Amino acid sequence: MIWLAAFLAVLAVLMAAPAPRLLSGATFRLSSPWTAMLLWQAMALAGGLSLIGAPLVFGLIPFGDSVPSAVAEVLRLVRAVDYGALEDRHVSPVHLFSLCLAVLLAGHLLLTLLRTSTRTLAARRRHRDLVRLLSSPAHGGSPERGTPVEGSGTGRRAALIIDHEIPLAYCLPGVTAARSMTVLSQGMLDALGAEDLDAVVAHEHTHLQQRHHLLTMAFEAWYRALPWLPTTRYGREAVLELTEMLADDGALRDHPREALVRSLALGAPASEATTDETSSDGPLAAAHHDDLQVTAARLRRLLSPPPQMGRTARGAVVVLAASLMVVPTAMLLIV
Amino acid sequence: MASLGELERSVMSILWDDSEALSANELRGRLGDGPAVTTVLTVLSRLEKKGMVVRDRGLRPHRYSPAASREEHTVDLLNEVLGTAGDRQAVLTRFIGGVSDSEAAALRRILQEG
Repeated sequence: MIWLAAFLAVLAVLMAAPAPRLLSGATFRLSSPWTAMLLWQAMALAGGLSLIGAPLVFGLIPFGDSVPSAVAEVLRLVRAVDYGALEDRHVSPVHLFSLCLAVLLAGHLLLTLLRTSTRTLAARRRHRDLVRLLSSPAHGGSPERGTPVEGSGTGRRAALIIDHEIPLAYCLPGVTAARSMTVLSQGMLDALGAEDLDAVVAHEHTHLQQRHHLLTMAFEAWYRALPWLPTTRYGREAVLELTEMLADDGALRDHPREALVRSLALGAPASEATTDETSSDGPLAAAHHDDLQVTAARLRRLLSPPPQMGRTARGAVVVLAASLMVVPTAMLLIV
Repeated sequence: MASLGELERSVMSILWDDSEALSANELRGRLGDGPAVTTVLTVLSRLEKKGMVVRDRGLRPHRYSPAASREEHTVDLLNEVLGTAGDRQAVLTRFIGGVSDSEAAALRRILQEG
């Protein structure tokens, strides 16, 4: 038990600082974003589990030889209100504090996840209502060809148009596919040709299809729960960047690379159009800084595609991710 | 028969385009396919709940006007998308995060040459 607690503590420390720093700079994320994504999700799980597990296992040491039996014993003592047993087992206050810490931490993480998801869902619903009232459905994405912007033919996840000159495209995930929507601004339609717009819509559809909002949600909650922990900060940024790259890859399956590059470059706010908004504290200013790096990384990746990641290397990352998920879980349940 | 969602949109666009507050009956007149007044009232109370319209209870019949202009709502929406206000997580992502002006100019050159 003491070794398990020590192992989990070491794992927690590794997952807290050095591992996320290493991974967020690792270049393999450019050639194979999905393996990097897998590793991030595994690290989040292993990090959370070991952070809660380390104090839990330490606190359980006097109560039994394995985690399940010790938990059962603690529950039995709690029900029996048996203070004498604590003395017989040489339970020190440190053990009790450790147990409380584990329970509080677990509660904090779960509650934050719950609160983040309900708040996010409410904000999305509000946003969706507003978009519905303000937008018009996309028609004539390409006047020459006379076809609507991709997807609008089905009428389900049609792109909606918001009347504003800032070039913008984004998607709003819904609980069901029918409730998800892709939104384009008039500025985007003005800036891009039909082929480029199709690529943009395909990019957004990939976000929705691959349910990227679920992959980012846990990291958002993590960050809110423990903002001082480097993992959560690096993790949130890195996972957002990876979703963008995954969406680019999805768009590249059916659309030319040039279209994506053009839409990234030409769709960017031209200086004359947005000077008054971007200058100081306009709506674009704050968002700009964060996204500048992501956009630059995406552009570089599109302009000079990184070499394919080797099969063995990819396999190694997958195995590492799998063991991060399985090993701490199994040890808590069995040892 | 238009869905409630479509009616909400039509009602809002009439209210936004009209300078004065309207009653449910006046609204019904301006809606092309003439839904029942009760339907219009349902739509209005839904919009009121969403904070989109305000009701003036001073006179009967009650008169309705938009809570904010179309432009103000659009700016709210953009702020949310661009992350200065509200919840950035609400909107999954924006395609255009932003390229610096010089980067964009350099790219435009490349693209035009190509």
